Amino acid sequence: MRHWLRSYLLLLRWNLLRMRTFLPLLLIAQLMMSGGIVLGFSILIPEHDRVTVLYLSTGAPTVALIMAGMVLAPQALSQQKLRGLFDYQRAMPVPRLAMLAADASVWTVLALPGMVGALVVAALRFDLSYDVSPLVVPAALLVALVAISIGYGIAYLAKPEVTTVLTNLVIFVAFVFAPVNYPAERLPDWLAATHQWLPFQYMAQAMRETIDVPAGGVPALPFAMLAIWGLAGLAVTARIMTRRT
Amino acid sequence: MLLTIDDLCKVYRGRVRANDGISLSVAAGEVFGLLGHNGAGKTTLLNQVIGLSRPTSGAIRIDGCDPVADPDTARRMCSLQPQAQAPLDGITPRQAIRLMARIRGAGRRRARARADELLAALDLEPWADTVGQKLSGGVRRLTAFCMAAAEPGRLVMFDEPTNDVDPVRRRLLWQQVRALGEAGCAVVLVTHNVVEAERAVQRLVILDQGTVVAQGSPAELRGEHADRLRMELVAADAHAAARLAGEAEGVEPAVVAGRRVSFPIEASTASPTLAWVQRHRTAGLVDEFSVTPVSLEDVYITLVGPTERGGPIESEVESASLAA
Repeated sequence: MRHWLRSYLLLLRWNLLRMRTFLPLLLIAQLMMSGGIVLGFSILIPEHDRVTVLYLSTGAPTVALIMAGMVLAPQALSQQKLRGLFDYQRAMPVPRLAMLAADASVWTVLALPGMVGALVVAALRFDLSYDVSPLVVPAALLVALVAISIGYGIAYLAKPEVTTVLTNLVIFVAFVFAPVNYPAERLPDWLAATHQWLPFQYMAQAMRETIDVPAGGVPALPFAMLAIWGLAGLAVTARIMTRRT
Repeated sequence: MLLTIDDLCKVYRGRVRANDGISLSVAAGEVFGLLGHNGAGKTTLLNQVIGLSRPTSGAIRIDGCDPVADPDTARRMCSLQPQAQAPLDGITPRQAIRLMARIRGAGRRRARARADELLAALDLEPWADTVGQKLSGGVRRLTAFCMAAAEPGRLVMFDEPTNDVDPVRRRLLWQQVRALGEAGCAVVLVTHNVVEAERAVQRLVILDQGTVVAQGSPAELRGEHADRLRMELVAADAHAAARLAGEAEGVEPAVVAGRRVSFPIEASTASPTLAWVQRHRTAGLVDEFSVTPVSLEDVYITLVGPTERGGPIESEVESASLAA
């Protein structure tokens, strides 16, 4: 465990050094995007009832985490593959999951200001108040874990060009065709049924219902589904990372 | 023996036999060379030793540890400088060397000391605090060397460490390679630079198409060729070089690289060859010439052939000689 933690901290340090020059840019982009989702979608949807507004304001942090884990992180990993960092890391005496954790930490922290920013923008724009549960922290971590373990699985398996296409597809689906920024009832039945098995809906629900706890309390189902997706993603990604040619 | 490889085979899909029955061993404190053309199977071999690739058959032991069964322990026991250029974007050589030493288990103080020591030894201090994207290929390669050498473990492997490196720093690098051996590490050096390898290694294998075609010390490999000399001449132009190569009466056919012609001769018949080359020099066909004891390069070319499937070996040999 000590070796794991030491490896994690050193790799985290390396990541921060490596990314420090473009961290501010990424932070600003994330902030603008999260705020933009709230404001932009509110232009698209003219009726600002509380449900719509709540979906928009809590959907934005979810999208920020999906964006970080399923788009930015895998695309950065593809770049690392192209530039040889991947070969270096593979030859290092570090636990594979410590490598994943060090990367995931940076991308999750990177998504945080955007998440908070979106909530603040929504609160100011729509005069919204939240009933936040402390469970929002494990919810956000779980969403980040699911996003990054799936994102890394794609990046490890696919060629860099394919990764770019796939990750763009993922964010497009999450943005437009997933019940993240709006309720599942608005989707066609078949798509709503498909989303019963995909992680996006549960990511959004876990975030939404811990940021603004519903009358019946925080539900267990999204946490359970996300835990299953997270473990499956982690198992597959760990398997791919330790795979030998 | 610290590293033992026994009858190792690696067959890729498509039935390419990258390694085919390789057996070798490297002792602690020994600098061991792995020579061969591009595609001879050198890098494939290293990847199996460090547990990144799984052998099709055969056995590897690093001080008793089996990297096939326990790749994590294997990676802790040995360090590798991969052939790919070091990823140093956003990070300085000093930071990269310290971090890698710490990842490999060194304490903070030792990592700091080793980084300073290596940066000074390789004359890299002017770039020690410059971020990677502003560094030349040679400085990046040397940094990667230091990253592997800072906390090397029991076995350290360098895959083409001198590519892109200037001649002066190459010599400094070889000093550090020898220092690692003297410190008790087993050092495996992959190169196609025969001339340099001859100076740096104590023993070597020559690989060709995944098989070991020769193994021993440079002196042993010269073996029966020990009483041979090598005539090397620079012709006035390529046309003259081709003509002289045809005329040359060497023990082996002459190798031509641009204006350069080289062929081995028996020491006992050196006088007529000297007279022959002096005659052509007077006639203006030869610009300059030299006679030296037969080198490992000649043995290598005899064993592996003057041309490789992927391209001409002459250019590599020439650049090797120029760099030496």
